[in-house]
Amino acid sequence: MSEQPWREDNRVALENDAPRLDVIEKVTGKARYTTDYYPQNMIWAGYIRCPFGKAVVSSSNLDAARGISGVLEVELTKTDGRYHGDRLGHVCAESRAAMEQAIAALDLQFDVQDPVTDAGRAKTPLDQIESPDNHEQARQVLEQGEVIHEATYETQVQTHCCLEPHGALVDVRDDAVTAWGSTQGTFGFRDDLAQTLGVRQDQVEFHCEYVGGGFGSKFGAGAEGTLAAEMSQKYKRPCRVVLNRAEEQTDTGNRPGSHQYMKLAVSPDGKIQGGRIHTWGHVGPSGGGGGAANPSRYNFGTIARSHEDVHLNAGFPRAMRAPGHPQGMFAVSMMLEELAERLDMDPLQFRIKNDPDQVRQQMYRVGAELIGWDRRQPNGAGTGVMRAGFGIGATDWGNSAGRATVDVNVFRDGTVEVLSGSQDIGMGFRTMLCDCVASQLGVPREQLRVKVGVSTYPPGPASGGSVTSRFVAPKALGAAEQAKQAVLQLVADEWGVENPASLSIEGGVISDGQQTMPWSEACKLISDDRLHFSVSRDGRHRGVTTSSQGVQFVEVQVDTETGIVRCKRVVAIQEMGRPVNRNTAENQITGAVIQGMSFALFENRLLDRPTGAMVNPNMQMYKIAGPVDVPEIIPVIWKSEAEAGVNSLGEPPVVATPGAIGCAVYNAIGAPVRRMPITPDRVLEAIARGPAGGDA
Amino acid sequence: MKSFDYLVADGIDPALRAYDADENLQLKAGGIDLIDLMNNRIAAPDAVLTIGGVDELAYIREEDDGVRIGCNTTLADLARSDLIASQFPGLHHAVAGAATPQVRERATLGGNLCQRPRCWYFRSRQFHCLKKHGHMCYAVEGENRYHAIFGDGPCHIVHPSNAAPPLVALDAAFVLRTRDNERTVASSDFFVMPDRALWTENVLEPGEILTEVYIPKAPSQSATIELREKQSYDWPLAICAVARLDGRWRVVLGAVAPVPWVSEPAMAVLGDRDITGALAAQAGEAAVEGAKPMRDNAYKLQLVKVAVKRALMTAAAMEVPQ
Repeated sequence: MSEQPWREDNRVALENDAPRLDVIEKVTGKARYTTDYYPQNMIWAGYIRCPFGKAVVSSSNLDAARGISGVLEVELTKTDGRYHGDRLGHVCAESRAAMEQAIAALDLQFDVQDPVTDAGRAKTPLDQIESPDNHEQARQVLEQGEVIHEATYETQVQTHCCLEPHGALVDVRDDAVTAWGSTQGTFGFRDDLAQTLGVRQDQVEFHCEYVGGGFGSKFGAGAEGTLAAEMSQKYKRPCRVVLNRAEEQTDTGNRPGSHQYMKLAVSPDGKIQGGRIHTWGHVGPSGGGGGAANPSRYNFGTIARSHEDVHLNAGFPRAMRAPGHPQGMFAVSMMLEELAERLDMDPLQFRIKNDPDQVRQQMYRVGAELIGWDRRQPNGAGTGVMRAGFGIGATDWGNSAGRATVDVNVFRDGTVEVLSGSQDIGMGFRTMLCDCVASQLGVPREQLRVKVGVSTYPPGPASGGSVTSRFVAPKALGAAEQAKQAVLQLVADEWGVENPASLSIEGGVISDGQQTMPWSEACKLISDDRLHFSVSRDGRHRGVTTSSQGVQFVEVQVDTETGIVRCKRVVAIQEMGRPVNRNTAENQITGAVIQGMSFALFENRLLDRPTGAMVNPNMQMYKIAGPVDVPEIIPVIWKSEAEAGVNSLGEPPVVATPGAIGCAVYNAIGAPVRRMPITPDRVLEAIARGPAGGDA
Repeated sequence: MKSFDYLVADGIDPALRAYDADENLQLKAGGIDLIDLMNNRIAAPDAVLTIGGVDELAYIREEDDGVRIGCNTTLADLARSDLIASQFPGLHHAVAGAATPQVRERATLGGNLCQRPRCWYFRSRQFHCLKKHGHMCYAVEGENRYHAIFGDGPCHIVHPSNAAPPLVALDAAFVLRTRDNERTVASSDFFVMPDRALWTENVLEPGEILTEVYIPKAPSQSATIELREKQSYDWPLAICAVARLDGRWRVVLGAVAPVPWVSEPAMAVLGDRDITGALAAQAGEAAVEGAKPMRDNAYKLQLVKVAVKRALMTAAAMEVPQ
């Protein structure tokens, strides 16, 4: 393995290998999340919800609900529910028990109507879809094409399953509001509260020091923050709204399901020439958001593309980690695999031929070696009951610049305080800030106090689009650089050295080559209370603009007698510009691979067809991969050739995994499973159907 | 969850007296299942009697006439027992792989055998199903991919216990006690089909507690195969437990019927013969005789065939795909 330069050069070339900064707080329970705050005199509020897909309240017992001891108010604001989880009203009470009793006592009875739950039946048939403008060109490509392949792929709804539920605690006082919320956008939440309450932005002090995951579902104050604010204002007491797991599964958004029709022409030597692609997104009872990123990432030639959102009596889509991409790339990857099979080409070579990106071209070769691509047999050529399969997925993500401010304060006792109002939704934002500043300053981590997730701290982005590190890191590096120069100037003055640039700091010790001074001594030279730096510009720390490319290779094992798929190994190569902390960077990759694998094989929002109720609104029957399901994951941090800054990492790795797993299952059993999740029944069906496939 | 009185028993006799005195008392051992039911308001007892701390019910004893296991023995303790691992590998496999490590440390054998079904209609307050004194089984027209393929209803749950199939295969007996009486029932008679009793899954009477599991003899060969979608924290799609007692095979299926399903057709094929690959496969084919899959669970037929075949081959120390 010593002949593999990427291992030495690309895997280990990191600034920092230290553990996650807040690991002790998180594993010991010291970290306080929104749900951990119980101020005195707190009241509870929650929503009254529709338990069916489409139902009208036929009777209710408001008097009984209002009569429960400790209940402050019960309001029904509408009577027609359009999805399981739809908010019909709310309850506010002195205690959780009283709130729940009131909801039970309300004894809502419903007239249940036929819901729309099956997107396959509800979608407009392809032949009735209005043709895109370039339909004629695409038709000609298909007409003249020598090899034509056509298939429809289907992906299911995936829910976010944040471990920390959505929730807020709002305390409205005379002229000041203090609030806590589980969010991926400190300032958006603050703004929503200010607007709801009719107060100025500066009157709201909003906290989200610790957040247990968002994945795209926690922008703004949401229904939870809004209700908490209104009730707190009304009753002049702190009010808490925290969802339970069933509410979390039905009404906090999801990755929408899809049907994806593809008909492509390909030349006999393996160039995709173009064709027709139409996608349907499975969305809520109104609105949209069901787009799938198909086509993407490969050269597809002339494509006539259209999309329709199909309305269901089911919860709404919400942004979810690379919205539209994992499902789009499932169809794209499977189609590439099927085309390669039609041409009798190695799917790796077929990808190399149709992938325009030069970085991924290199990654394919490296990944193939790491997974052992030469062990791959042609589709369906394996023997025995347990068959191995190999698959490939690709991803990329953009790295535009954006606004943020980072403050660094250097105190006379040597403490370095780093402040950003942006939130750490679990990706390691604190750690990233700490390691940026510590490495730039040349002082040990222990000197630093990193404080994030409070609206009175300097502004920063919401965590969406993988921007948090990329927007904030350049400012952190810039502020640290200014702090360093200022302290070196003080020491240079003290030593009578003319040029402070001749001084250096390493391991918390300042030196000019002859004499040394510890950081803590140097800071005593500060005459004011502290040195304060606030940086809002990227400067040179933004680096060369690049994109975060990635390629994944997976190995699965399929039990061909039972249809049970085990994901055995994943090589996940990911570019991220300048990696800051290996633990958190690898964690982002492995976490994304697990989430993508869980999506491909297990997770599924199941709606009861007659009533539209979600039958698995929990984390028992809504199946999420557990520890034993997790494959060996080999995260490969790919060092960019360009001198890039800190780039996107949160979303791109989740894009590639589901498609790669789909391809690997196809390779193992010699028949495509075109529907996710790839469950035993579907694998058995595909095996029975044989190599030709057939639509899901 | 509704507020409730919490009574803590400090011995089995006081527990039986308290349980006898108040028929509305809800019994709790590890609480794994009950807390879930209470959170979902499927159970809303005014008072809960816990026997979880009664140490005298936590034991695994090898005696002259067999092995006795107290109902408070946790699944984790069973999994750690050399006796269970060496003499009852089928039972050991089932308890060691149930749920999660945390759950196994709390879940008791008695609780595992007496837990309520996982059917999502039963577990949802919105569905007033047969099991909850309603008038229909919603799985018939609804989502039934995990439901029963045997039994003809009228309720189509599958029995949720992992430990039950191997215990029935071992022809274990359950000791049931009331304040004044004690009776022993065959494990195969403990569980009842929905056409006999809809609102319960076993023969326990009011005031009666399952206190002990008795396994009269060690099998010469035994094994359990559980086929799961997920390998962590998932209820199997199909289970087959086999045991050879006095030369004859017993074959019991799980996750496919409202009770641990003793497969007479498979046992008829096997008789007292030694296992070959062909015989094991033949028994698997026989095991699905009489099955009536619902709309979405016909795949379980294939899983049953494979589970039976692999369980027999495992018991016979033959290699099976893993």
